[in-house]
Amino acid sequence: MKTSKTIDHIKKIRTVSEEVKAKRKEFNTIKRTLLKALESGPKSIPQLAEEVELPIDVITFNIMTLRKYGDVETGEIDDSDEYFSYQLKQKK
Amino acid sequence: MSDQTNNYDVLVVGGGIAGEETALNLANIGYKIIMVEKDLSIGGKMIHLSKVFPTLDCSACITTPKVSETARHPNISIFTNSEVGEIEKISENNFTAILTQKPRYVTEDCTGCQLCEEACPVSVEDQFQYELVGRKAAYIPFSIANPRIAAIDIENCILCGLCEKVCPADCIDFTQEAIKTKINIKSVVMATGYQIFDPTIITRYGFGKFKNVVTAMQMERQLVPTRPFNAVLRPKDGKMPDNIAYVLCTGSRDDTVGNPICSQVCCMYSTKQAQLLMGALPMADVTIYYIHVRAFGKGFCEFYNQTVGMGVEYIKGKIGKIDEAENGDLIVRYEDIESGKVKEAKHDLVVLATGILANRDYQSMFKNIVLEPDKFNYVKQVNDLSSPSKTSIGGVFVAGTASGPMDIPDSILSAGAASAETASYLRRAYNEK
Ligand SMILES: Cc1cc2nc3c(=O)[nH]c(=O)nc-3n(C[C@H](O)[C@H](O)[C@H](O)COP(=O)(O)OP(=O)(O)OC[C@H]3O[C@@H](n4cnc5c(N)ncnc54)[C@H](O)[C@@H]3O)c2cc1C
Repeated sequence: MKTSKTIDHIKKIRTVSEEVKAKRKEFNTIKRTLLKALESGPKSIPQLAEEVELPIDVITFNIMTLRKYGDVETGEIDDSDEYFSYQLKQKK
Repeated sequence: MSDQTNNYDVLVVGGGIAGEETALNLANIGYKIIMVEKDLSIGGKMIHLSKVFPTLDCSACITTPKVSETARHPNISIFTNSEVGEIEKISENNFTAILTQKPRYVTEDCTGCQLCEEACPVSVEDQFQYELVGRKAAYIPFSIANPRIAAIDIENCILCGLCEKVCPADCIDFTQEAIKTKINIKSVVMATGYQIFDPTIITRYGFGKFKNVVTAMQMERQLVPTRPFNAVLRPKDGKMPDNIAYVLCTGSRDDTVGNPICSQVCCMYSTKQAQLLMGALPMADVTIYYIHVRAFGKGFCEFYNQTVGMGVEYIKGKIGKIDEAENGDLIVRYEDIESGKVKEAKHDLVVLATGILANRDYQSMFKNIVLEPDKFNYVKQVNDLSSPSKTSIGGVFVAGTASGPMDIPDSILSAGAASAETASYLRRAYNEK
């Protein structure tokens, strides 16, 4: 079994590209924006698109991603059976 | 037969259904197998499919027992996240090769607890969900992966070290490096499978630009229980589709994209998906645009007739162009082959039945000898009727879609031929000694 942290080893031989850093930052910003928008209650993707300044496909991708990561859960479907709403997941 | 660490009877390249079947057949009669798989898990494409035509059996349910049997077999050593190269033929029954194990940065003691995944702050597109959703840079490839061990995507890792901090079993190891090992083998089976046609090449279909144009593999993922979304939804706006179109022969039977041959599986997998969609979305209309429907296998024609009976519309039509309306719907412009007229139809989701292409990886694996391609770049079968797995090199055999497009039953059949011919090659040399 290892005893020391190996991250220090790789830090000496690898650098993180600007692109990777930017991608991480972008995800963080989108995550914060979407979670904040859901604080006031469940919303469908078109409703989110009206509220936040992000392209609708970016919202869909990231809502589904946040769902997978356990930050968001699926709510009800609307009366015309078209759009589900998504809501913040209550963390235990 | 041979039992030293780097000596094996058969090198099986590729751990899809064809590779697994070949390895199991040979391992069960006592041969020692090394299976080299370039992905993080074995299982090939089949492990990612929803159900299989024409029986609609669950694909993962059929393939996971085979995956586990392969992984647990005492005569099979599996190297995932690995590649093989510099294969050299010294003489009959005597090959050497260089195995490269790429670092996973996670040791085999990983319990698959996913705490590293939870802690990782990076999110990138998940290749195992065909880019429909994100995944972390520290991740378990997919829920039924084998081995179910996390991996660090070092290209996208920000080296924050959080994964290492939270790992309760102390399995993260950033000191790992690529390991190269010389192996000695007596024969080789190429089971490297196929590649999927990249539909961005046909720009008039709008794939990549119009998010509601998806590939059949993306639809497969939407139809499995471990799907990327909570239901079958449009990737653009999360709407539940109710009018879905299939474009058959996307990248197959098309000289303009360099692939003039039929992919053998698209008619039937589209028919299968249409049936599954009618189950998942009972109110939806499904239209399949085709040039010819090729329902050539056992039970295929009945399956097609059943699908027509369920209300799926088959239109003999060639797609000219796909445009996007403001609400994300898609305007499909096509030539109605029956009437000879150009028509337009509106759909809210379009699935491109993307074809199968040769995986040319084998072309750079050999050192002192050439494994000949056929004219479509698949591994050439030198005698495809009487010895279907024989290639241009004695002792090197081919199994599954590495030799041409085919479905799962035919890949299994082809693996049967490859294992029989490999066994006979090994036996012949043994007897001659
Ligand atoms: C959308 C879609 C739906 C389908 N649905 C069905 C269906 O319902 N029923 C059916 O019968 N068929 C279906 N098929 C076809 C089916 O996927 C194939 O018949 C089957 O997967 C072929 O298995 P294989 O082992 O030959 O290849 P693959 O599944 O491609 O496996 C090849 C393996 O080799 C590995 N590999 C590749 N290159 C290397 C390398 N250089 N070194 C090491 N390893 C390597 C790959 O990572 C992979 O694990 C479908 C295909 C598609 C695209």
